[in-house]
Amino acid sequence: MRTPGLGWRALAIFAGALLMAGCGQQAGAPHWKTGGDPHQGAVVIIRESCGACHVIPGVQLANGQVGPPLSHFAERTMVAGVLPNTPPNLERWLQTPQAVTPGNAMPNSGLTDTQARDVAAYLYTLR
Amino acid sequence: MTGAPQPTQQRWPWWVQWLLAYAVAGALAGVCGLAVVELGVYDVRAIRPHNAAFAWATHTTMIHSVRLRAGGSTTLHVTPQQAKAGFALYDANCALCHGGPAISRAAWVSGMTPTPPYLVDAADRWTPAQLHFIIAGGVKMTGMPAWGTTLSDGQISDLVNFLEVMPYTTGSDYQRLRAANAKH
Repeated sequence: MRTPGLGWRALAIFAGALLMAGCGQQAGAPHWKTGGDPHQGAVVIIRESCGACHVIPGVQLANGQVGPPLSHFAERTMVAGVLPNTPPNLERWLQTPQAVTPGNAMPNSGLTDTQARDVAAYLYTLR
Repeated sequence: MTGAPQPTQQRWPWWVQWLLAYAVAGALAGVCGLAVVELGVYDVRAIRPHNAAFAWATHTTMIHSVRLRAGGSTTLHVTPQQAKAGFALYDANCALCHGGPAISRAAWVSGMTPTPPYLVDAADRWTPAQLHFIIAGGVKMTGMPAWGTTLSDGQISDLVNFLEVMPYTTGSDYQRLRAANAKH
């Protein structure tokens, strides 16, 4: 004899899956204290289309292969191969990469100090 | 009273239960959809990015639509003349939103949702026919216009030629091309 209400159970599972699909971009505890907000940083990363050139874990559609992947960024020793990976250096790089290494492919972003701090906070969650 | 005893718990066959479940799910989805349209519960502002599920669904829809419909050749014989003409068109029409190697977009472009991607690796993501298809036809609900309304087919081919060489174009190359272009 069949269990009654199997269709209802399938419906409940489907609804549950839909609910869970709404969540995403969970950022963990940051490695460095930048004073920035990693959640806000993730939003800035989407807005600035960083993912067109970089693979960035936890950021929607961030699968670019132009620049280096930013996975495990908190463990990285150098920023862009020229600056020690500290919050002030990273924020400087994020705002004006053309001033650090002129002619490299990454354009100046026009990020405000707060936005740069938030983006750095997000990148330091990537361990 | 004769005959086998009837099962009392199962009033409908299993497939009727399934049909009912789907009908209820469909009706619920319809009501929810109508509520979104009529009650204004969806926030249409561009100030927040799409949530991950919506971004995935719309972006994947776009990719599959282009793959299904673009057809055409998967290789392109790039000519320097066409690539140069394509650069001029790109710098005049596309760079504002899509930037370039070491070239920033306009600041206000960060306020667009979805935000236009940089295209340095566009030639790795799409075939020449697909690039032509996207430029000529535009993409609904993204802000990408159908350039086929204002550019000729030949001009769009020039643009595709430039996109093919953009991965080999450095920031200083781009500035040199821009300077040479300004002289004409």
